[in-house]
Amino acid sequence: MVKILYFGRLSERVGTQEEHIDLPDNIRTITELKAWLNTYHQLDGILDHDTVKTMIDQSLNHKNSSIIGAVEIGFLPPVGGG
Amino acid sequence: MILISDTPFDPGEHLNQFSKANISAGAISSFLGQVRNENGTVKALELQSNKGVTEQGIAQAETQARERFSLIDVLIIHRIGTMEIGEPIVLVLVAAKHRRDAFEVCDFLMDYLKTEAMFWKKQTGKTGSLWIEPRAQDYQDNKRWS
Repeated sequence: MVKILYFGRLSERVGTQEEHIDLPDNIRTITELKAWLNTYHQLDGILDHDTVKTMIDQSLNHKNSSIIGAVEIGFLPPVGGG
Repeated sequence: MILISDTPFDPGEHLNQFSKANISAGAISSFLGQVRNENGTVKALELQSNKGVTEQGIAQAETQARERFSLIDVLIIHRIGTMEIGEPIVLVLVAAKHRRDAFEVCDFLMDYLKTEAMFWKKQTGKTGSLWIEPRAQDYQDNKRWS
């Protein structure tokens, strides 16, 4: 079971900020996860945009890292506070 | 000190406490960001964060500021949750010996907060909701420090 986090406009598109999913065994990388979620949630490729960053277990800047053993994976659209 | 708060805060109260706690500083600069009404078209602003990572990133920006400028103390308060028109969103207070460092650190930290800090901002108005992302000018401002 892995926790998936969606932030900003992605959370609105998916319909939740957080979900827990039992992923199929063949989903082992970020790229595979994005493709799987794209079909699962019918996301029209929004996770593939260059501006969307990925976070694995609170650590940023993973392009196509392994997600084997990951507890939490986050998808982050462009940020901006203030 | 960095505070990410889901409840409203009083900027004046924090400024008073901060200045009293930093009597070695000859200069205290402040920046207050608040929800603007955009001529009556905006009703509220909602901010999300990822608390641990967001705080960690701001702490790194503060460390960079301390390495780069001569400063005594910093307080950053940033709201999350839903805010109404006129409510404070962000307060940055900087104590330094002299004014130039105080002004520049405030500017440096605000450029970080506007373009790199992990917040997501949604504006709700008469015509619906809109996720607000940094403007080209915000990124350009932040480049001044690289």
